[in-house]
Amino acid sequence: MIRLENVTKSYSTEVTALRDASFEVAKGEFVFLVGPSGSGKSTLLRLMNRQEQPEKGAVWVAGKDINTMPDSKVPYLRRNIGNIFQDYKLLLNKTVFENVAFALEVIGRPKHVIRQQVPAVLDLVGLSDKEDRFPHQLSGGEQQRVSIARAFVNRPLILLADEPTGNLDPATGEGIMRLLDRINNTGTTVVMATHDQRIVNMMRRRVVQLDRGVIVRDQERGVYD
Amino acid sequence: MLARVSYAFRETWASFKRNVTLTAAAVVTSAVSLLLVGSTFLIQRAFDNLLTRWKGDVELIVYVRSDASAEQIAFIQEAIESQPGIIDVSKLRYLDQAESYAEAQKLFAGDPGTLRLLTPENIPSQFKVVPTTDDSNLIRELGESFRGIEGVREVAYAQDVFDVVSRVSQFIRVATTVMSIVLLIVAIGLIWNTIRTAMFARRREIEVMKLVGATNWFIRIPFMLEGLLQGLIGGVLSCAGLWGLNSAWSNAVTDFNDTELAALVVSDGYVRWVMIMLLVIGAAAGAIGSGIAASRFLDV
Repeated sequence: MIRLENVTKSYSTEVTALRDASFEVAKGEFVFLVGPSGSGKSTLLRLMNRQEQPEKGAVWVAGKDINTMPDSKVPYLRRNIGNIFQDYKLLLNKTVFENVAFALEVIGRPKHVIRQQVPAVLDLVGLSDKEDRFPHQLSGGEQQRVSIARAFVNRPLILLADEPTGNLDPATGEGIMRLLDRINNTGTTVVMATHDQRIVNMMRRRVVQLDRGVIVRDQERGVYD
Repeated sequence: MLARVSYAFRETWASFKRNVTLTAAAVVTSAVSLLLVGSTFLIQRAFDNLLTRWKGDVELIVYVRSDASAEQIAFIQEAIESQPGIIDVSKLRYLDQAESYAEAQKLFAGDPGTLRLLTPENIPSQFKVVPTTDDSNLIRELGESFRGIEGVREVAYAQDVFDVVSRVSQFIRVATTVMSIVLLIVAIGLIWNTIRTAMFARRREIEVMKLVGATNWFIRIPFMLEGLLQGLIGGVLSCAGLWGLNSAWSNAVTDFNDTELAALVVSDGYVRWVMIMLLVIGAAAGAIGSGIAASRFLDV
């Protein structure tokens, strides 16, 4: 589903975010990217939906080399990739329903599809009764569920999560992980960057560890370290 | 499709409301600059009309001293009529002092200072001469020969007036063109800035849109629509202004119906054509300016 081949990415001559990184994620896999801040986890995620381009190497997503793809095709690539962030990135002037509907609206999905899919995905994340709330009326965990609903409403092949539990207390974070696990069980590939040891150790999934831009460990059913 | 169109209009309207002052500034500036562009065209057209009319029968005017005797006047007339090869005798007109005074009343209506100096007694009478030839050298030679006749005060050539008008119209053309271009650039700059502000206000939305796979055109179009609308509203305002200006001007000029100034009226058809052009320029400048601005700031 995702394949990185000898990818090197630097932001300036001094800072190399990623050095000669290669790894592969199979369809339906759940992968943790772990490592301290600045080790290159976020860069790796940003390379996967072409928010960044590498200096060297290739990134393949769903059978396509996404760095040789013309700019005009990038939006269609991204429709297959959901994104979740530590700070949720919800639109504060829109309700829960509108936030999720927005993701479908801007890719031109018709109204009747929106009316059908948004309640379904809100039900999946457990927010059916909060459709009309605004983000500031929700707890952190609920806001993250809205953002997961938005990322998943278009049924993407891949879900990229950047520290999704970073702002949440442990119990809420576990709830979010159960939700991501359920989404993974539907066949969606999940790549999640985190430095939350407890969660990595609890889930026992594949762990790719980064240290100063280099992949130092790749382990099935791994723990944090 | 319908969903996309309604989305674009909703976003455009919301953004319009959000940036009322900046939008108003952009609209007013584009209206003023377009008004200037339109005025340039009309002024140019008016001068062209004037010049073509004069070009048709380049005349020369022989002014007769106010104290000339009847014999002197008769002699001058004879001298002019003795050149049937060069002048069209049938079109020769003599305006006596009373008639010349009446004409001056109209010609100098806007210049009471000059008018006050003139009386039916001190004003020169005049022969209006229509030549049969286009050869301005020949006309000038003839005119100079009249100059020597006793009782002739002055010989004026339409060619001289023609040159002055050409020079004035040239100057006005350059001045208004430069001003309208400068203002048009300012207007585009203001539209650019409005769009940038609008995009900044919506940067979170744009970021999310890009991440969920909205195409650049989808993101850009509401902003282009906003710019187009600003330019178009500016165009409509400038058309109203231009229509008003032209009506006022035409009314003022009709008072001079039997003088050359009447040629300065521009036909309604031409005015309409200029107005359509202003709308198109306004809309295009707004849409293209904001489109480029949107593309510039679209990188997330």
